[in-house]
Amino acid sequence: MNLYVCIKQVPDTETKIKINGDSSGIDTAGIKWIMSSYDEFAVEEALRLKEKNAGSTVTVVSAGPDRVVDSLRTALAMGADNAIHVELPENADSNMAAKAIAGALKKESGIDLIFFGKEALDDGAAQVPQLVASYMALPSVTVVTGIEYNGNTLKCKREIEGGSYEVVEVNTPAIIAAAKGLNEPRYATLPNIMKAKKKEVKALKLADIGVSAADQKIKLKNFQLPPPKQAGKKIDGDAATQAKALVAALHNEAKVI
Amino acid sequence: MAKVLIFVEQRDGKNKKSSFELIGASSAAGNETHAVIIGDSVSGLANECAQYGANKVHVVQDAVLKNYTGEAYARALTAAIKSISPEIVLASHTPMGRDLLPLVAAQVDGALATDCTSLQFSGAKLQLKRPVYSGKATADVEFCGSGIQMATVRPNAIGVPKPDASKTADATSITADFSGLKTKILEVMKGNSARPDVTEASIVVSGGRSLKTAENFKILEDLADSLGAAVGASRAAVDAGYRPHRDQVGQTGKVVSPSLYIACGISGAIQHLAGMRTSKVIVAINTDPQAPIFQIADYAIVGDLFQVVPALTGEVKHLKE
Amino acid sequence: MTWQTLAFLIVGGGAFYLSGKKFHILYQMMKAQKGKAPKFGDFAARIKNALVYVLGQKAVLQKPFVGIAHTAIFWGFIIITIGTLEQFCMTLYSGASFEFIGREPYTILIASQDFFTAFVLFGVLMAAYRRFMNAPKYLTQSSDANYVLLFTGGLMVSIFLMNAFHVLGTNPWFTDSYFISKHIASALSGFGFSDDTNHNLYTFFKWIHMSIVLGFAIYIPGSKHLHIVAAGPNTFLKKLNREKGMTPINFEDETVTQYGAAKYTDMSWKDSLDLYSCTECGRCEELCPAWNTDKPLSPKRLIVDLKKNLYRNKALILDGKIDEVSHVIDDHVTEDVIWACTSCRACEVACPVFIEHTDKIYDIRRNLVMMESKFPTEVQAVFKNMETNASPWAFSPSERANWAQGLNVKTMADVGSAETLDVLLWVGCAGSYDDRNKSVVKSFVSLLNKAGVKFAILGTEEQCTGDAARRIGNEYLFQTLAKANVETLNRYNVKRIVTACPHCFNTLKNEYGEMGGQYEVFHHSQFIAKMIGEGKLKSTKPINETVTFHDSCYLGRWNNVYAEPRAAIEAIPQVKMVEMKMNHDKGMCCGAGGGRMWMEETIGKRVNVTRSEQAIETGATTVATACPFCITMISDGMKTKDMVDKIKVRDIAELMDETT
Repeated sequence: MNLYVCIKQVPDTETKIKINGDSSGIDTAGIKWIMSSYDEFAVEEALRLKEKNAGSTVTVVSAGPDRVVDSLRTALAMGADNAIHVELPENADSNMAAKAIAGALKKESGIDLIFFGKEALDDGAAQVPQLVASYMALPSVTVVTGIEYNGNTLKCKREIEGGSYEVVEVNTPAIIAAAKGLNEPRYATLPNIMKAKKKEVKALKLADIGVSAADQKIKLKNFQLPPPKQAGKKIDGDAATQAKALVAALHNEAKVI
Repeated sequence: MAKVLIFVEQRDGKNKKSSFELIGASSAAGNETHAVIIGDSVSGLANECAQYGANKVHVVQDAVLKNYTGEAYARALTAAIKSISPEIVLASHTPMGRDLLPLVAAQVDGALATDCTSLQFSGAKLQLKRPVYSGKATADVEFCGSGIQMATVRPNAIGVPKPDASKTADATSITADFSGLKTKILEVMKGNSARPDVTEASIVVSGGRSLKTAENFKILEDLADSLGAAVGASRAAVDAGYRPHRDQVGQTGKVVSPSLYIACGISGAIQHLAGMRTSKVIVAINTDPQAPIFQIADYAIVGDLFQVVPALTGEVKHLKE
Repeated sequence: MTWQTLAFLIVGGGAFYLSGKKFHILYQMMKAQKGKAPKFGDFAARIKNALVYVLGQKAVLQKPFVGIAHTAIFWGFIIITIGTLEQFCMTLYSGASFEFIGREPYTILIASQDFFTAFVLFGVLMAAYRRFMNAPKYLTQSSDANYVLLFTGGLMVSIFLMNAFHVLGTNPWFTDSYFISKHIASALSGFGFSDDTNHNLYTFFKWIHMSIVLGFAIYIPGSKHLHIVAAGPNTFLKKLNREKGMTPINFEDETVTQYGAAKYTDMSWKDSLDLYSCTECGRCEELCPAWNTDKPLSPKRLIVDLKKNLYRNKALILDGKIDEVSHVIDDHVTEDVIWACTSCRACEVACPVFIEHTDKIYDIRRNLVMMESKFPTEVQAVFKNMETNASPWAFSPSERANWAQGLNVKTMADVGSAETLDVLLWVGCAGSYDDRNKSVVKSFVSLLNKAGVKFAILGTEEQCTGDAARRIGNEYLFQTLAKANVETLNRYNVKRIVTACPHCFNTLKNEYGEMGGQYEVFHHSQFIAKMIGEGKLKSTKPINETVTFHDSCYLGRWNNVYAEPRAAIEAIPQVKMVEMKMNHDKGMCCGAGGGRMWMEETIGKRVNVTRSEQAIETGATTVATACPFCITMISDGMKTKDMVDKIKVRDIAELMDETT
């Protein structure tokens, strides 16, 4: 099987976010970059499929600046065979990224499945898998927590709200966006980490695939930090008083109920 | 003033309330507000859309649309957009809306911003804000070019307006081509408990060793039910057998990030904090004023949970009436 | 040539040949081990060890009853071997007696034979009593052990009978020197056998004796009695110091493709010698906190099972088919066994033949983690956190120095170079992020200020020392962290470090050297003791508590730091100190070492609860600790035992800050 996984490199979730000088984005100095967590489920799923189907290959694709090659190597260390880096400017939006990825994938042949994470940890837009599906005229199933493989069709379990879920059957080739619970991503073994350091990463420029700044549909600006967290409010009184005051605060002040 | 099309989500013959937030906001801003309902035999749902402010209601109906698949609904919504030619398309950022709108954006060459937490209309332009980096910052959305502006809006970000029961609407039908679909829905399974999973819930009520018995957790369950929340537990409570391991919140259990986390009788040892620290609002109830959890709580109640929690449940029920 | 000579040539030759072949196989197997053994220097110290521990039986005598029994058997055997040797020689050539040493000396020799034969028999009887009538739980019953006792006892009985009949049949000139045998002879003379019969019986029991010796020679290589050959060398080659670091792996060396031990043959010949030396005495099992809380790990059973695993592969190893050797993890050495270890080293300190159990466990873990990615699931988050956030917890590295806000603590970035400072305070991850331990560090900072010590911290430049990563088996992650820390420390010219965490203390002191960082490292208890000694800190305010000190394994057993924490506590007015039953080298682990702090404990009883019970038993009102893991585990234990209102758990820095 020819399997593809699209990954995004994002700042680690513990990173302290600082806004840059002109509020056009965050200050990237000193940021630890990691593969977005949902993408790990995607990589793992492709690797497991590969292990079950002898002769399969897993190609991992990422669009972004040069630093994303590190995350491609992380995926190679997990066991992916090939890697493609599509150059993309730092603040590209979902549409431009999707066009870049679709452009790269259209150069490949015989694709069976393309895996994504359901959303990226940085912008949480949750658009790219569906955009790529549309641009490649492939069906997509998102927020997938379980897959049964039956030759040309997949039976996917996808989560909706309130603990309910749908079971969807889709024909391959198809795009799957992985959610938490699909599998447990493996920790790369050291020999694979060493091998991944030396693997060749195919590089594509936007011009190679006919994508340009005109493909950017939205820009984010005026980045702001939320107001600083107030010190905790102590609620005094007896139980009844405390309960009343708390519910009022949660409803009117914090607006969480 | 713009021509706005709102995708009204329906499941099992019921409109989703969060869709009405968008109709209300659009109508209040004086836009020509269209609503489209997609499904099988859904024209009966049109009146409700008018009651919340839709000027025109459209339906796309077909047996294949009885249950949601991205592929079929995308064709339906794309057909609606091509027929109506709106300048703005909105949907609620629900599991359905967030899956659907990107599929459609690519088809109609629209510009889509998802998970917006603030929505304003400025003439024919949308003004949106959205959270980034797991909510550690927010940014404004600027649309490039002049194509269709599209957005999904977080449920409860705007608030549902009061409906005008006198309004009605006749649904106009829009057709679409559903041949050659490659996705098929096999079944829809309802979750077996009304209570959400601890990692999914937007509110979590959590208990520690101080509950002393498994039975005592009932008071937390009552509070959770009144809030539509999930019930979590500290490792100590799980070890003592009060709750199953799947409810454990912490470094070796589940990491949760709900809008509201109510910690009852939990001291806040570092392993637990690692699992819930990023909750938007943290409430701590503990008899020990020195408990570490109070360092990160937004609201601190030094008190006996056996008194406070039932009182809270009463107050919440009162609020919801 | 007499028939005896011929018979001996055949039987003895045959026995020595068979025995020699078996020993040769053991030697060949040792040579086939692929791992690298450490270098063994300092011969003078090693010879001293051999004298003290082998001849002096110092470790064996740690348990008085069985120690005396063993010493009797051991020394006895050395002396009576002279007699056996003479016997062999005389069987080959009748004139080859040792009488050439002179008549006086020879009578002493004969007397010594009788004395030490009785000595050995006495030891055997003590051992048999213990094994059959009063066996401790950690002593395994086995047919092997019974044969050894039987052979040994049989040897002694046959010697006495042989001597007695020798006296009766031949009445040699040195009969009087047989001061015990001659009385046996008297008793036996009651049978009224003829001189010829007696002489024949002498020959008979002589051959019984020699046969048992020769049989033993064949039996020993396959028995735990092999320790008589292996234990001496193992003692000579033992680690000279209590402190030790794990052996680093050179990841730059591209010829190394196997990290850690997947098969026993991946370890070194010294690891085989360890297996050969095990007597199955069970002293390790007795003290193992995992075994004592019903985990499947017993150090003794581990060593025995590893030996069985190795021997199962004997044919393959001798054939050179190392690739086909079976995995070290098998039905007995399960993954649960390997992960149960808290690296407390009670086993190693108790072992009378100086086997290093924990290094084998680490080696096996290294393979499981780095080659097979097989480890408890909850550990993956810890690895990821250390990789991204330089700490086992998911807290931002930028928050690492937040605990110091408002305390006027300088960072090395402010100071520039450590040359103007007395010491660098290494805070560690627990001290930086865990509320309970932040309070400990703050107390220590207060003490440093009181004593006028010039110090600074690395602040956000400090990364996890990597102790947990290394102990769990992720050597690569450890080296990444260690190299980064060494680079930072060396850049600031740091020479002296003090830390409140024994894990950081041990790693910085004993393991960073091989990573390029040589520093003088103190644990805060040592530093406090120093400051008290120099008069810079005075305990004045009384603390009216009964205090028991829980020894941290990485401080006590690993680095022999027992006295300083106690000295600090005892200096406090009105404090009454009590020791737990299991203290110092026998102190029970809190359960968090060996990376277990980061793993779920699902099997058996909780280690920390058992240790807390031991503390409660002392009647103490305060448990004093010196480690961030111990304080967490013991506090948790007190909560489980519902003793939070009756017993406080406090770090010695907190106690000292209160009293000064």
